[in-house]
Amino acid sequence: MTVTMFLLGLLYVGLVVALLGSGVNGATVAIIAGGLAAVNLFASDKLALSAMGARTVTPEQAPQLHAMIERLCVQADLPKPKIAIAQTSMPNAFALGRSPKSATVCATTGLMDLLSPAELEGVLAHELTHVQNRDVLVMTLAGFFATIAAYIVQFGFFFGGGMGGGDDDDNPSFLVLFLVSLAVYVISFFLMQALSRYREFSADRGAALITGRPSALASALVKISGGMQQIPQKDLRASGELAAFYFFPPGAGKKLGSVFSTHPTMEKRIAALQRLESQLQGTA
Amino acid sequence: MGFLDVLRGKRQLKKPVPTDRLFAMSTAQVTMELEMGLGSAGKAGIVFQPLATADFEGIVRDMEEVVRSAGSDTGTTIEVTDDDFGYRWMVLVDPDFEDLVVGLNAVSTALEAGGYGDRILAAVFAFRDEAGKPVYWIYNYKRGAFYPFVPAGGEQRRDNERELRLKAQIGAELPIEADLERWFPLWGIPI
Repeated sequence: MTVTMFLLGLLYVGLVVALLGSGVNGATVAIIAGGLAAVNLFASDKLALSAMGARTVTPEQAPQLHAMIERLCVQADLPKPKIAIAQTSMPNAFALGRSPKSATVCATTGLMDLLSPAELEGVLAHELTHVQNRDVLVMTLAGFFATIAAYIVQFGFFFGGGMGGGDDDDNPSFLVLFLVSLAVYVISFFLMQALSRYREFSADRGAALITGRPSALASALVKISGGMQQIPQKDLRASGELAAFYFFPPGAGKKLGSVFSTHPTMEKRIAALQRLESQLQGTA
Repeated sequence: MGFLDVLRGKRQLKKPVPTDRLFAMSTAQVTMELEMGLGSAGKAGIVFQPLATADFEGIVRDMEEVVRSAGSDTGTTIEVTDDDFGYRWMVLVDPDFEDLVVGLNAVSTALEAGGYGDRILAAVFAFRDEAGKPVYWIYNYKRGAFYPFVPAGGEQRRDNERELRLKAQIGAELPIEADLERWFPLWGIPI
């Protein structure tokens, strides 16, 4: 997932640079970048759902899940999101949609089989907190601005450094332009990952506030991470693009360096939840 | 939710609306009885998330004690059950409707005074129509509004037509939840 995202980003920057280099004017590039971000924002939920093989379910099809989420929505004072179920044994859940009104919360059948009702409630509350915090919107916008930042830097060099060179692609200023945009992109990539990890902690905390049971969420994390280790590599790749919005990303806690991951390590999340529990118990 | 809260991803759980809108039910009940053919079932409940902490359990115990001792004057009895979702129901039983409203208010006031007002999910008033079918009015503390809930029999089916009609019939006597999407059902109400 991380490599994919990194490479996709490189491709994106490469595209913009190539467009600029080939003499296409700046406005066109801005429109393309904006268009891609808009598609991401407005259509990504449907694309992601179908990529996961998830389908939305009616209250008749999943009465327990609906009833559980309805109660959490009352507690969190949220409108009810659409609810989807993905038929996969991998225990996971994710939230999609740019605003609480258009949100979808998806759980996998593996998650529902694995967890007790209180644990499932904790995980769903975590996803609802993502909805409440508008994390999809924030992360998409953060990504968009990172792209734009890279673009602006390129633009400055295009006019500043490239003044004498005209449209000549062999001009050394073009190399500088490319390196700078690359640097901006790499830095913003790590910042994005850090932002994502921070928002995961927020969502854990929010979930504990909604359910009043931090320990149930902590025990769900333990169970899920146990289940995660048995997943074949094929599944991990197939689900890669969605990992930023996952409850627990496939492959987390393996060999990935912590700066490369969208989610904090499980140990840190559990420790944070335990601090919340002791605050709740009045022992901290 | 403020812009900064969105950026920081932090938000407190919403507290109950600090009004005594619950008492609007006292007068509305007369209208329901006389004009809408809805009789009180003599039961009302409050549902909340029990926290597994000593402090919270102490407050709940004290609160039960207060309601029970008040009940020895008013004749209100109290039943406590936990449902399948892990929520706790305190069901008050009293043929006098006014006592039910006062009793529910005492429970929610005690929880709020202990700092646990945000744990309250809803209050539910049970009615029976002329055919003896249950009709519920649910009060959402966080939004300070009522909405009707009429189970239609069968698994998780509700009579939306009836609910909308009830809303029109009661008119301005109750603060009604304007957003229909927030008319969340509560299945398996134990009253």
